[in-house]
Amino acid sequence: MPSRLRAPLHSGSCSSGGSLPASASLCGRRRPRSYNFRQPGRTHAQARAAAAAAAAAAAAPEVSCAMAVLWGRGAARFGRGLWPCGRPGLPAEEGTLGGLCGPRRSSSASPREDRRKDWGHVELLEVLQARVRQLQAESVSEVTVNRVDVARLPEHGSGDGGCQPPTKVQPGAQGTPSGLFVQWAKRLDKDKQIQQKRRQRLEKQLQKRAQNPGFSTDAKRLHVEPRLLSKQLTTCLQGCTQEVAESPWEEQLAQVLQEAPRKLSLDKKLGQRLKTRFANRQQKILAFLKCCLLTGHQSLAHHLLVTHHSRGRSQELLTLDMYNTVMLGWAQQGAFRELLYVFIMVKDAGFSPDLVSYAAALQCMGRQDQDVATIKRCLEQMSQEGLKLQEIFTAVPLCKEERAAVLRAVLKAKPTFKLPERPLSPVNNSKLLRDVYAKDGPVSYPKLHLPLDTLWDLFKQQLRVELASTVCVKSVEKPVAQSKEVRRAALQALPAQGESFMGLARDLGARTFSRHEVQRQQFSGQVEALKRHYRQYLHLLAADTEVPEPYLPRQYWEALGVSEPPQEQPWPLPVQVELGRLLAEILVQATKMPSNLAKPRNSSRLVPLLYHVYSFRNVYQIGFLKPHPAYVQLLATAAEPTVTFEAVDVPMLCPPLPWTSPHTGAFLLNPTKLMRAVDGTMHHQRLLENCPPAALHGALDTLTQLGNCAWRVNGRVLDLVLELFQDKGCPKLSVPAPPSEVAAPHEAPLPSSTGLVDKAELRRELARSLKESREMHSLRADALYRLSLADHLRNCVFWLPHNMDFRGRTYPCPPHFNHLGNDLARALLEFAQGCPLGPHGLDWLKIHVVNLTGLKKREPLQVRHAFAEEVMDDILDSADNPMTGRKWWMGSEEPWQTLACCMEIAKAVRTSDPAAYISHLPVHQDGSCNGLQHYAALGRDSVGAASVNLEPSDVPQDVYSDVAAQVEVFRRQDARRGSRVAQVLEGFVTRKVVKQTVMTVVYGVTRFGGRLQIEKRLREMSDFPQEFLWDASHYLVRQVFKSLQEMFSGSRAIQHWLTESARLISHMGSAVEWVTPLGIPIIQPYHQEVKVKGGRGLQSVSYSVNADSSLKPNKLKQRNGFPPNFIHSLDSTHMMLTALHCYREGLTFVSVHDCFWTHAAHVPIMNQVCREQFVRLHSQPILQELSSFLVSRFCCSSRPQKLSQRLDDSKLRETLLAVPKPGAFDLERVKHSTFFFS
Amino acid sequence: MWIPVAGLPPRLTLSSLVGAGRFCFLGAGAATRKPLQARNRRGLSDSAPQLCPDPDFRKSPSRVKSKSTLDFSRYITSRRLAETMAQLVRGKEKKPSHLFLECNPGPGILTQALLEVGAKVVALESDKTFLPHLESLGKNLDGKLRVIYCDFFRMDPKGTGAIKPPAMASQDLFQTLGLEVVPWKAGIPLKVIGALPIRSERKILWKLIHNLYSCTSIYKYGRIELNVLIYEKEFQKLMADPGNPDLYQVLSVLWQVACDIKVLHKELLEPSQEKLYFIQITPYRNLFTDNLTPMSYQVFIHMVKHCFGKRKCRLIDHLRSLTPLDAKDILRQIGKKKEDKVTNLYPQDFKQLFETIQSSKDYAYKWLYDDRLEGSTAEFCIFRSKNLH
Repeated sequence: MPSRLRAPLHSGSCSSGGSLPASASLCGRRRPRSYNFRQPGRTHAQARAAAAAAAAAAAAPEVSCAMAVLWGRGAARFGRGLWPCGRPGLPAEEGTLGGLCGPRRSSSASPREDRRKDWGHVELLEVLQARVRQLQAESVSEVTVNRVDVARLPEHGSGDGGCQPPTKVQPGAQGTPSGLFVQWAKRLDKDKQIQQKRRQRLEKQLQKRAQNPGFSTDAKRLHVEPRLLSKQLTTCLQGCTQEVAESPWEEQLAQVLQEAPRKLSLDKKLGQRLKTRFANRQQKILAFLKCCLLTGHQSLAHHLLVTHHSRGRSQELLTLDMYNTVMLGWAQQGAFRELLYVFIMVKDAGFSPDLVSYAAALQCMGRQDQDVATIKRCLEQMSQEGLKLQEIFTAVPLCKEERAAVLRAVLKAKPTFKLPERPLSPVNNSKLLRDVYAKDGPVSYPKLHLPLDTLWDLFKQQLRVELASTVCVKSVEKPVAQSKEVRRAALQALPAQGESFMGLARDLGARTFSRHEVQRQQFSGQVEALKRHYRQYLHLLAADTEVPEPYLPRQYWEALGVSEPPQEQPWPLPVQVELGRLLAEILVQATKMPSNLAKPRNSSRLVPLLYHVYSFRNVYQIGFLKPHPAYVQLLATAAEPTVTFEAVDVPMLCPPLPWTSPHTGAFLLNPTKLMRAVDGTMHHQRLLENCPPAALHGALDTLTQLGNCAWRVNGRVLDLVLELFQDKGCPKLSVPAPPSEVAAPHEAPLPSSTGLVDKAELRRELARSLKESREMHSLRADALYRLSLADHLRNCVFWLPHNMDFRGRTYPCPPHFNHLGNDLARALLEFAQGCPLGPHGLDWLKIHVVNLTGLKKREPLQVRHAFAEEVMDDILDSADNPMTGRKWWMGSEEPWQTLACCMEIAKAVRTSDPAAYISHLPVHQDGSCNGLQHYAALGRDSVGAASVNLEPSDVPQDVYSDVAAQVEVFRRQDARRGSRVAQVLEGFVTRKVVKQTVMTVVYGVTRFGGRLQIEKRLREMSDFPQEFLWDASHYLVRQVFKSLQEMFSGSRAIQHWLTESARLISHMGSAVEWVTPLGIPIIQPYHQEVKVKGGRGLQSVSYSVNADSSLKPNKLKQRNGFPPNFIHSLDSTHMMLTALHCYREGLTFVSVHDCFWTHAAHVPIMNQVCREQFVRLHSQPILQELSSFLVSRFCCSSRPQKLSQRLDDSKLRETLLAVPKPGAFDLERVKHSTFFFS
Repeated sequence: MWIPVAGLPPRLTLSSLVGAGRFCFLGAGAATRKPLQARNRRGLSDSAPQLCPDPDFRKSPSRVKSKSTLDFSRYITSRRLAETMAQLVRGKEKKPSHLFLECNPGPGILTQALLEVGAKVVALESDKTFLPHLESLGKNLDGKLRVIYCDFFRMDPKGTGAIKPPAMASQDLFQTLGLEVVPWKAGIPLKVIGALPIRSERKILWKLIHNLYSCTSIYKYGRIELNVLIYEKEFQKLMADPGNPDLYQVLSVLWQVACDIKVLHKELLEPSQEKLYFIQITPYRNLFTDNLTPMSYQVFIHMVKHCFGKRKCRLIDHLRSLTPLDAKDILRQIGKKKEDKVTNLYPQDFKQLFETIQSSKDYAYKWLYDDRLEGSTAEFCIFRSKNLH
């Protein structure tokens, strides 16, 4: 502290011409000292702009040029984002620093109100500072003049109470009476003009510099030396600066390092609050620092650190991570002195250096070839702090070269040091997974059908794709005419009606981040390491290589000794949005087109291509970017021959990386989240990272396995679809028609005699057809993407990397073309790896084709098989003449998949030995009302279990019909009692009416929603008296719920219990969390959203933030969401268990939630595994475990203070402990149920 | 005059009605959110005849409750005011030749006054309670009064599905009344008289102006004249222009461009000191031109909305987001300067601006506006959601 006081006010660094009153009040603020002005010239703003431009350049090469220009202008703006000014700090700190902070800071007593002003302030301040540096560079005399000014000005400032708010700085400030003020106002005006001129000049210079691609910042103009808060450390520092860089390490630092961190006295609670409040800003700074290092701007990063460090409040923002990051940067360059500075700052800030810090130090010493004594001191210090040397090599993520440097240093001091053995990775010991990870017993993990070299080539292809970031795919749209216009991907994707500005900004921001990530890995040499490891990894998968013992892919990858690459946090949402906003603005400014396309190019003036317009929805105003209508026209006629995709939107060309942690897996370079979440939601990632690594093994291995399934395109089906698509489409077969098929809106000029009313009518018609064509267009575009991708991948083998949602349900990452899509998409896909049909495979194919038609749902398998034999003629005809024959397949529920299956059957039966036929077609087994199955099993409901096929039976049970029958029983009773509604409903209670409601009850549909569903069904019935719609639907939904209550009494009790628990938990102010039986931690991400508004320029953007864990939960969503989410977490567990066990059996297995796919030959094995695992899963005391988890998580261990809290707590505990009693159903019977999954 | 002004003793003849709780009386009701509490302070004027001897409010409580505070109606209960209004709308004619649609007459004071001046009245009442009484008013009048169960302000609700009374389709109404479409350029087919619902004045105004520009709903039948009571606050906004930029807004522009608005009468509400204006809104005969038609009106509305979205901005900046045409050129054509702000433009200037752009010949694309951007006629959604049950 005292050192701060003693530090002389370096006035020159604060003000420019220095006659602005605002700057006067600013001047009082102490700025960090900059000692090393040996070569002044570059300014804060400049440097910042430069680095920002460089960072952006690294992130998005194609826009870098334009960026640089804009950064020049927006430098101050960006700086503002990073400049933690006017931020309220710790109240405690504020007290101590109050006297030091100068008039401005003490004036902003209410920082919240002041913030916006402050921002303006800061902008101004920065320009001023920039100017000062410049002036200093230009002439010394001017600086002295400034000093005089500055010395004089604070008097004015204090005369004004020292708190002149910056808003008053505007010329003509509201009628200031005093003569002084009038004078000031005049001066202000003048000054403003001067300021403007200067600014312009500055801008010019900035542009010049920013455009110079090869520039690099000169460290000396930035702050290098820290200003410390601790006196003792300062003396040490002084020693540092006076002497040669090496010696102080030995002498002073040892004692310095021994000092206890100061900050431990910090109030814990306060710290917590601070943490959540600052989290975003901290991430922002960290991201900036990392970008700096990546682009070689270590000194800028250092400067930022120093400036923040020396200001009490902003120091609170800094974390050890940030110091470590900068240190690492210096270490890589071998800059020992600067590293030392940072090290001192770490101590000064009250952090105790951790492994990463020491690793950086050692690395630096290794590079610099430091003398032994220094290294020894360092190691000694390390062990004194309780850090183990070995752990540097195990716990700190280091790349190979860094490792070598550290090792060099260590070996110098300790020649006997040996690298530690790689610790064995922990093994999952969950009861459910014991079999999966058992070392003994038969294991036959499947291998791919491709040899090593092929796979290696594929890998190289995929790597190229990801390095290029985009994939151009030939469009399957029939080309009309060729055009030579060059377009950018973002523009092309812009629909004619425009794209919301916010959406575009988000998208651009996210894309920039992933490009940045790819480049970062390229720079840091991770790509090379990846190549090496991947080649070894392929030995496990390739057909022609052997590995010594059976390994799961993840285990093998870990055994390869791949060190985890340092984990990269995605930029926080505000940063991404801000960046995206900026890019979008550049797009608007930069893109131009000739105003008249018909005229030759140079004769017409250029007009913008994109326009920022607003759309009005009720009270909302939504900003859109809209392309020029002429451009849209041009695009439509040009019929772009290629479609461009992001690399992550295309299936992979080689097996995905195995998932090894919550943030590594799937794509080779592009970052992918293990758990997908809404943008900016951090809860999941945090939970996943905090849970023991072994707990996630089940999920990681399942996702890896699902991703490792190789796919190929069913070429024959694709040909047929393309034929339809390029012709007129066929909406009935879900091939959308081209826009030309929609009746073109009436565009001819109207005769002048048209009456007003007719015009109004016409307008409405026009609007209708526009709407229709828009819907058609989006359908068409969707199909176009899918088919283009399919065509692109036609002769390839490809992979669909998977991740999961927050409940553990798995999804393929590429969005457009995957097996989760509609019937058409599924029909286009088949396993790349074939498998002989075997003795029963053909039968399963036949049953499968009947299943797909949906014709024999309530018949046993034999009947289905017999039916297939019966219609074999039709099947063969469909396969041979799909478009010209009898078109049997078109009448099916899932026509395209039926067709694909028909073709497979035809091929199989026509071979000499069907059993030897190699089939690629996936055969599905579907759970019948899977949600209710899990409920029934949880509650051991006998009646319910029977109706959802948990009970063995000769014919499949149909729960919907059962419910309808039950409802009918109630209805008859009521009708007899004279209820009018019940009487009206006679003959209308059918399976169809209740089906949707029954299906969705499991997923939490309420009576309100259920009524709407039923009303819709009833409305469709033409003979139902429409005036009774409301009463009847109201009545029916009550009866459906009552029937379900009757049939699934246990399930309903469980549902109720879950709902009630969630209600109480969210009432206590927490989001509901639980752990699936496989060990995946789950949190419901429903919080009360906070709208954040920000950004200037074209428009302000507002987005809701859901990321902060301190937000209050959305009680309604938490409550209603818990039962369905919990059930989903169970069905995903069941799927994962089935998948893992199938993998051990050597099966190819993929899933669409509750629909499991495998080769026809393996259906019986999969069915057996599926049932066994269901029984095992539900044999666990799932609800008891849930209950005890919730109690331990949400009930206070200590007695709460307030009475209301105590009451809440005891009520919650009571509810949680009252686990519903199960019924009498014998779970083992599931194993013999044929139709459980069928 | 309003009841509190009349200072009449509270009569409980209608307390049964008040008990039903769904209406409030002008003035007092406007001041309080809880009509039931205020019951005893309120009375009805002397001349209120005996109404509905047996109001069946037992049927309605649940329905009433659901809309109680949301759906106030203003009823004119002052004899004096009713007479003044009737005189005003009669004008100089001896006997009003137009048909009057009276919205929510309630106790029928104004209805009576209108009948007395010899007008033909169609009473559109949305509260069933009043129907028998209203019907009794016209008993001996030879069909001069028709009473229809209908809510004028919920005419032509948006959305599909059957329209539940009292909402009604204008088509049905006009058919029942036997009215024909009157061309826009011809005279005024009928006059509407009533008070705008207290809480939804703006919504109603938005709905009406959309209907007007698109010539749909009631405006399909010609230039229908509105004679309505409106609160001062809303009235000022309606009539605002660059003279009082703080009140100037989209609705002001749209209404002033479309209609001639005259103040017929002012009335002071005693307890709250609020002013009510009785205004006459007559659509201009020459509203629609070659450029501004029911085909293109949406672009016009969008343009005005866009401009007022950032009202402090210069017009030239808005133009750049509205049209691909050269903004400076357009400004020159309408004789505005580069620095002119949105709030400097008079309503007619907006029309001129629109027509200038719309009539520019050289360019195929005059507007950036796209129907598809709009959530179609989103303003109307609020009316649909009011369906009871």
